[in-house]
Amino acid sequence: MRSFIANKLALFGAAITSFVLLAVLVGPWLSPYSPTEADFLALLAPPSLTHPFGTDSFGRDVLTRILYGARVSLAVSVAGVLMAALLGGSAGLISAYAGGWTSAVLMRIADLLFSFPSFVLALFLMVVLGFGVTNIAASIALIYFPLFARLSRNMALVVKEEPWVQAAQLMGQSTFSILSREILPNIAAPLFVQIALGIAFGIVIEAGLSFLGLGVQPPDPSLGTIMADGREYFQRAPWVLTLSGVAISIALLGLNLLSDGIRDVMDPKLRARL
Amino acid sequence: MMVVAKLARASRQLAGVLLIAFLGATLVFFVMRAGHGDPALSALGDLATPEAIAAFHKRWGLDAPLVVQFWRWLSGALVGNFGVSMTIAGGVPIADLIASRLPNTMFIGVYALVIAVTISLLAGTVSALRHGRMIDSAATSMAVLGISMPDFWLSYVLVYALALGAGIFPSYGFISPAESVAGALYSGFLPALAVAAPMAAAFTRILRTALIETLYRDHVRVARSLGFTGAFIFVHYVLRNALIPYVTVIGLQVRYLLGGTVVVERIFGVPGIGALMVDAAFGRDYAVVQACAMTFLVIVLIVNFLVDTLCNALNPRAA
Repeated sequence: MRSFIANKLALFGAAITSFVLLAVLVGPWLSPYSPTEADFLALLAPPSLTHPFGTDSFGRDVLTRILYGARVSLAVSVAGVLMAALLGGSAGLISAYAGGWTSAVLMRIADLLFSFPSFVLALFLMVVLGFGVTNIAASIALIYFPLFARLSRNMALVVKEEPWVQAAQLMGQSTFSILSREILPNIAAPLFVQIALGIAFGIVIEAGLSFLGLGVQPPDPSLGTIMADGREYFQRAPWVLTLSGVAISIALLGLNLLSDGIRDVMDPKLRARL
Repeated sequence: MMVVAKLARASRQLAGVLLIAFLGATLVFFVMRAGHGDPALSALGDLATPEAIAAFHKRWGLDAPLVVQFWRWLSGALVGNFGVSMTIAGGVPIADLIASRLPNTMFIGVYALVIAVTISLLAGTVSALRHGRMIDSAATSMAVLGISMPDFWLSYVLVYALALGAGIFPSYGFISPAESVAGALYSGFLPALAVAAPMAAAFTRILRTALIETLYRDHVRVARSLGFTGAFIFVHYVLRNALIPYVTVIGLQVRYLLGGTVVVERIFGVPGIGALMVDAAFGRDYAVVQACAMTFLVIVLIVNFLVDTLCNALNPRAA
């Protein structure tokens, strides 16, 4: 019974996430408006049939901007987290398998990056690299690198001792083939959970940086820059900030439920007790 | 023997903390220099004459080799001397800027932590003891909503509802705890709550899972069969064990909590380290950005060290 509910939540999360993906991929196409062109005849228009989410202080359609902006936010976050998963995951695997000083050095680097408050690290990197879309992705990658490194290392250390891995070693398989064919498939599921959670948090990082004005630069839309715009005239036109905030929450809710669901399905021992 | 083992463990941890602090200082210094060749250009502007740049270099010791500069910066930082601010507060020692703002950030951070721990202890316990019931579903749904609501977005909901709407709290401005603790508790409530809410959600989830796992362990069944009362069993056999993962997660989340203060300080006008770092980022005051990053790093390292010590105290087997 409980597992059914857990699955239902996972399904719900998957449905929201697919809806967000669809909206972000197809939505901008369907919109008749431009995300950046001003329309001075429709400044700060409240939500209506022509502008379902209203317009902002430049008369730009807020729904269109949210669709384009969410596309940017999601792309930045996905790029950053996948980069982190690839680099951090490999570093963790190599460190678990090689041991010795390689492992010590890689893990000290991970410890170091892990000791900075994540947003402070992002802020620091934006100052060093300069504000802009690519650099946000790089910041997210660096924030998430230690997490994937530690996670994959800890799991690989356990799997490495399993008899089938030792059998593969005895059969003379190459290290690369053991890592990719014997170890990686067995630690993939928790990595996927972490990727989904990471993408959710990456959206928060991007939006936070852009909200402060240190990320995506106006007039380009991202969820953070739209919220920053909306903050300026929050009392006169509350829909801009509110609806872009709701858009972020929906995206995060989908990803969080999805990762919860995958984890529940993966850990049947815990699920049986809950 | 036990004492010796514990001391050895503590000193090993301390050595690790110092190593990370040193690596952090190296990273912060050299990465900043690699990204921005010359502090003179940011202080004097791009149109500065070569003579002015040379004079600036001589004045601030930037003509020395990079390693020597690093050593000077590091040895200064060790005694709390981070140099002076170049652009945002021209000529003011950075240590003074940090010292005046650190109490505000610490206050908001601790305030948020207290709120998050209080909410999560209550919600986590109730939801674990009544798991599968209505109140549990309500608490877990709230927790999922909580982690889906970033602090800067929640800040505006709070401002709209409790400051502009109900008029209970101020929407902007902060009274430093040095002036009035009551004023700080009042004016800092909304910023602290905005930082605390996502933490509270995360803490509740972990405490609930840990409690439910522990409730069905053998030692708890034995205690029950021996006829101890429910409350006694809960405090001594269940909560104590569940606190270990709970405290560990709190330690891990402190870096998110401090990260959250950066944005929230800016929204509510709290003059803290986070707001200082953002101002410095806009003003290209690189020395101030470096000092803020180091301050945050040191806070996290100290908290992690305390959390490790607390976990060892909770779990005698770890020694």
